Formats: sequence, C-alpha cells, structure tokens
Amino acid sequence: MSEMDFKGSAELSMGVELELQILNSRDFNLARDAADLIGLVDKTPHPGEIKPEITESMVELNSSIHTRHAALVAELRELRDCVSAAARRLNVCIAGGGSHPFHQWTDRRIYPTERFNQLLETYGYLAKQFTVFGQHVHVGCPNGDDAVYLTHMLSRYVPHMIALSVSSPFQQGADTGFQSSRLNTVSAFPLSGTIPFVGTWDEFRAYFDKLRGFGIVESMKDFYWDIRPKPEYGTVEVRVFDTPLTVERAAALGAFVQALAHWMLNERPRQPSPDLYMVYRYNRFQACRYGLEGKFIDYETQAHMTLREDLLVTLRALEPHAEALASGPALEDLRRLVESGASDARWLRDTHAAQGALSNVARLQGERWMQDARAPA
Amino acid sequence: MTNPGFFPEWPLAHSPIVLFGLLLLAGFIGGELARRLARIPRLIGYTLTGLLLGPGGIDWLDTASLAASRVFVDIALGLLLFDLGRRLDLDWLARDRWLFITGLAESALTFGLVFCVLIQFDLPAVPAAIAAAIAIATSPAVALVMSRELRAEGQITERMLNLTAMNSVVAVLVTTMLLSWIHHEYRGDWILMVLHPLYLLLGSGLLGVLASLAVLGLARVLGKQRERHFVLVLALVVLAIGAARMLELSVLLTMLTFGVLVRNLDQNRDVLDVDFSRVGLIFFVVLFVVSGASLSLDSLKSGAVAGGAFVLARFAGKALGVMTFTHFSGLRPGSAGLLTLTLMPMSALAIVMLEVTTGLYPQLRGELSAIVLSAVLILELAGPLLVQFALTRAGEARAKEETAT
Repeated sequence: MSEMDFKGSAELSMGVELELQILNSRDFNLARDAADLIGLVDKTPHPGEIKPEITESMVELNSSIHTRHAALVAELRELRDCVSAAARRLNVCIAGGGSHPFHQWTDRRIYPTERFNQLLETYGYLAKQFTVFGQHVHVGCPNGDDAVYLTHMLSRYVPHMIALSVSSPFQQGADTGFQSSRLNTVSAFPLSGTIPFVGTWDEFRAYFDKLRGFGIVESMKDFYWDIRPKPEYGTVEVRVFDTPLTVERAAALGAFVQALAHWMLNERPRQPSPDLYMVYRYNRFQACRYGLEGKFIDYETQAHMTLREDLLVTLRALEPHAEALASGPALEDLRRLVESGASDARWLRDTHAAQGALSNVARLQGERWMQDARAPA
Repeated sequence: MTNPGFFPEWPLAHSPIVLFGLLLLAGFIGGELARRLARIPRLIGYTLTGLLLGPGGIDWLDTASLAASRVFVDIALGLLLFDLGRRLDLDWLARDRWLFITGLAESALTFGLVFCVLIQFDLPAVPAAIAAAIAIATSPAVALVMSRELRAEGQITERMLNLTAMNSVVAVLVTTMLLSWIHHEYRGDWILMVLHPLYLLLGSGLLGVLASLAVLGLARVLGKQRERHFVLVLALVVLAIGAARMLELSVLLTMLTFGVLVRNLDQNRDVLDVDFSRVGLIFFVVLFVVSGASLSLDSLKSGAVAGGAFVLARFAGKALGVMTFTHFSGLRPGSAGLLTLTLMPMSALAIVMLEVTTGLYPQLRGELSAIVLSAVLILELAGPLLVQFALTRAGEARAKEETAT
C-alpha cells in the first residue's frame, strides 16, 4: 500500500496541533529549553503528544483524535496543565500567539534532528524566520474524493479562519499593521499556496506523481499549503490558524472546522470552481491585514461584503451542524467574538498600549496561556 | 628654564584616569592575545596581564597603584553583584524547592569541608573559618562574563547564575557575621563584636532597599523607555556604591540586596531589563587585571599545598551538594556534573572578601592570604576554562562561528 493511498478515517473526527512559544522569565524573549522541557514532560503521564518543532524555542502539543468538542477542550486543558507545570519547574513560560513580539530570528537555533537540519540546509534563513506559531486542525474524511472536495470548499473559508485566530500583530519588535503577520512568513516558501484545481483523488495523485517525477517533492510533508489532504491519516489538515492565546479558543476553532466539514460533506451546498482560487489570495490578504474588517468577495455571487458579515452568515448556517456535533456553545462563543469585534491581535495591541513594552506583552501572553495550570508541589 | 606655568610639573602627578585607561588597554591587549594565540577565554588574558604587571611580576602596578585602583574594583564588583542579584529569581526558588536546597547544601558542604581540611593543615579556627566562608562564593564575574561571551542560554546557564547569586549572598553574609568572632578573638570587645556586623548587615541592607525602591518608583514615573531606564539604573548603582563606601558599609551586601530586590519586588515588571554588558565590560576588564595583580606566583611557594587542598575540598563540597539534590530538580541526567564545574571559578570577590575580613587585623593575613590567594590563582585561571567546557558540552553555548563577534 502506497503512502499516497487515502486511508479513510472516521468521518468528522478531529485533532488539533498547537505550536507554542517557550519564553525565559527574565526578559520574556524566546528561550532555548525545548529539549529539557520535553524531557521533563515525558516523565509525567499525559494524553496526546508533546513534541519538538523546528527551533529550540518551540514546542508542539498534539491532541488525540476526538469527535466531540467537550472532550477536545478537556484534553487540551490537561495538556496545557502538564506542559505548564514542567515549564514552571524550569523557570520558563509557555505562551500562545502566532508570533513572538520582539525576538530576532538571527538568534534562533534549529532543534537538532536530521529533518530540521535538512530544512535549514534547504531553506537557509527562511527556516529560522519560520519561528512562527500556528494551529493545525485535522478533520477526518471517509475517502480521497471527499478529501479533495473538502479541501476546495474549506479554502473558501480560509479568510474566516484567519480572522477568527489572528494573533501575530508584532514581529521582530515592531507593529506590522497586520492582524496576522505570520502567514506572510509562510508565503516565502516555494511550496506554499493551495492545492491545484483537481476534482478527484486520482487526479490529485497524478499531479503529485508528476511533481515527484520532477524531483520537487518526496512526500505530502513538502507542501506548505494552507490546506492539504493528509492521506496517511485520512484527514484534511487546515494550517492557516495563528495559535490562539488560550486552549479554549483553540478547541473552538477545531469545532468550527468540524462543523464546516459536516455542512459541506452532508449537504454539498457549494461546488468547487477555478473562480474560488481567483479571489483566494485577495480575500486571504484582506483577512491577514484587516481581520474581521477585511473585504471578502464571494466567488459564486461576486458579492462584496466585510468578512464579519459573511462570518455571521456562516455561523448561522452552521447552527444545525453544531447541534448535531454537540458544539453549539463553542460556536456561540465564536459568534459573540465576531459581533464584539474582539480578537487576540487586538488584545495584544491593547496590552502593548497599556504596558508600554513588548517584553511585558510577552509576559502577559505567557500568563494568559498558562493561567489555570496549578504549580507543582 | 623655569616653567612658564602652563607646562605640567615634572615628574607627572599620578592620575587615576590615566591608570584606568592603561589598565583597560593592557587588559584588552592581554585578552585579545589569549583569544587569538592560545584560543582561551579573554578573561584568562586579563588576569595574566595583571599577574605580569603586578608586584608579583614586573611591578609596574605597584602596591600604591593597586590601592588607587580600589575604587574601580568597588564599582566593577558593585555593578557585577547588582547584575547577579537581578538574576536571582526567588519565585523560581519557591517553585522548585530542590534548587533552593541545592544552593543551601552546596554552600554548607563547601564551608564544612574546606574548614575541616584547613584545620588539618594546622590553620587556627578563625582564619580557617574565614577561608571556608570565602570558598562558598562562585565568582560572579566569571559566571556573568562567560555566559555573555559564550552567549549561553539554557537550564545549566540559568542554574549556574542562580546558584552563584545564592552562594555569593551566603558567603557575604557569613563573612560579615564572622567579623564578630574575629573581633572577639583579637580584641574581645563585646560592643564591637555585636555592633560592627549589625551595622554592616542592617546599614547595607537598608541602603539596598532604598536604592531599589528609588529605581522602582522613578521607573514607574518615567514609563517604559529603555534608554531612560538604563541611565536611571546606572545612576542608582553608582550612587549606592559611593554611599556604601562613604558610610563604611559593605558594598557587596548593598549591591546584592539592591539587585535581588529590584528584580523580585517588581512583580509588574515596571523596570525594563536593561543590559549593562557593554558598560560593565569596561570595568570588568580592569577588575580582572587588578585582581590578577593582587595575585602572585610567590603565594604558591607557601600556600600551594594547603591551597590545593582548599581547591579540592571546595570542589568536593560543591559536587556533593549539586549532585545529591539536582537530580530532584528536573534537570536532564548528566548535567549535575557540568553544573558543578560551572560553580568552580573564584576571582575578585574572594580577594575583596579576604581584604574586608582581614583589613582590621593584619596579623590574620600571612598563612590565610597565602592559602586563599593560591586557590584564587588556580581557580581564576582554570575557572573560565571549566565554565567554557561545561556550557559548550551542555549545548548551551552558541556554535563557534556565531561567537566570532
């Protein structure tokens, strides 16, 4: 069986990956304690997985596979408490947020594994600049054709997902003016972007085999797409979220993707079209730059609206699906967020205005993420 | 021809400014030579420069010049202890009791073992206790300067700095309290015995408290502006050092208190983490040259054996304390040994503590000085190499090509 055979999985199961920042507790710059932190959490039993990421200042939390939001949020809280307890013993902080507000990429060191060294070799300074922090959501699909359809259809909602998670307004010590500056970093990679406009899994495999024939890619891992099918897991993986400032928001974003998938796969309300990808980059840029206030163009009707308007319409359409999936309260939280215009990016900017120093923004980012974890005995 | 009035009188008067500049230049050259020719840390070059220029070498830096340079030593050490105090994180010690216990245990074991060994060398109890108290402290200068020079970051580095801060506090407190015993032994004056340590502890502590409150209050008024905070903190550091000298208080105790409090009282982080490394380095070069000049190979003639035993006992005390307890404190296996090595350096702090405790009763010196200075000579030269080895081995120092700056 080839690794490109789509291994169907329980429909609409979901899993969340969170890339998190490790901060020192002196000036709250990025620290380099990933190895010690992972060594310490490995000694305590915990659900899911806690793994290294490309630089020594990052740690990744993986949930296990869930079908219900309540179980997902409970597990993410448990993971958070576990990693926070270890961090406290090492005197480091763990923080959410899509970017560290003031670290310098030249200071970063690659986590010493073969794969990460290979990435540094291939991408040079881009690998170190890739010290940005995202949330990935996997959603289970029964077969490859559904996965291709779902990948296209979720692409329409990429701006919505960005606007719900924006949390990287600062980069390298400066306010970027963006709500999510993280995705600009991703765009520099040659294999970033979107899936080609294919209709079935067989067409997709033909495309993949051709690229592999050219020697451009070896596996699906080489694509840095916003959304990509993941045949070995039987999932579609959404990669556009900035890591939110709390695990509760992260779980709600998982529920949002799950409900969208439920809607799309059960009702097939829209059909893929090349037009989707003609408006894609425009919509995506607007969401990164302006968040909920960004402009949004609907590829089917060519209507212009603000992203907030289309998000509220979308959340209303998702209500029955959220009910079926028992994630109504989580989506209700997101609706209130959209109506109030609040976002993690705004919280970070407000905190900066109140505190006057980015080091204090990073400190409070850490306190907010670790909040409920109890100190170890 | 008579001097028309605008030429300087010959011979030229001693100038502390010229002395400072010359020490800095000489140390700088020595440091670069060490780095380029022998590929050893610059710190060792500074110390060797001092050793060469001092009374034990070509005697260009004679006893009078050394006395004149005492003010630079006080500023440099004050700045260092302040900086080190800022690295002591009481929250961490409260969260990780084992780290706190490690610090107390290695201090106590070091004192105990060094004391017992020196008694075996027929040193009387008072000087043996002074030497043992001095042995507790790791060199703040080496810990701070080496961690910056190697741009080291990580658990061993952080623990080295916190344990160094802890054992410096313990050493300074113990030597201050030993003054009671010294007065009792040499003068038997009860009032002096009680009042002198009390004046030093309370007075220096109070001065440290006032300085830290002043920084916190003024920083809040100023708002978060990095350059302003730099000037503010530097001003109070210099002021506190000057006031401590003026009031005959302990510069060491004052600056440690100041540093620890300015960090740990500031729960909302109103004071920015200002970086003194550039300004500090100027003083640290001079500090190492002057402390190198205070040493001499001659001290080895009379003190080498006991000094060597002092070094071994000190190593055993620190190793026993660190290896026994670090295991419980979440550090990866194998790193306790490396952490022990980072605690070995001794330098200017030991010399100053020796001067402070023996200053009032010169009859105390002699054998005590020979032993302590021999040990300092060994560990001031070997210490930076041990720290470099340990931090590099732990993977916490930056790769070589990156340290080239």
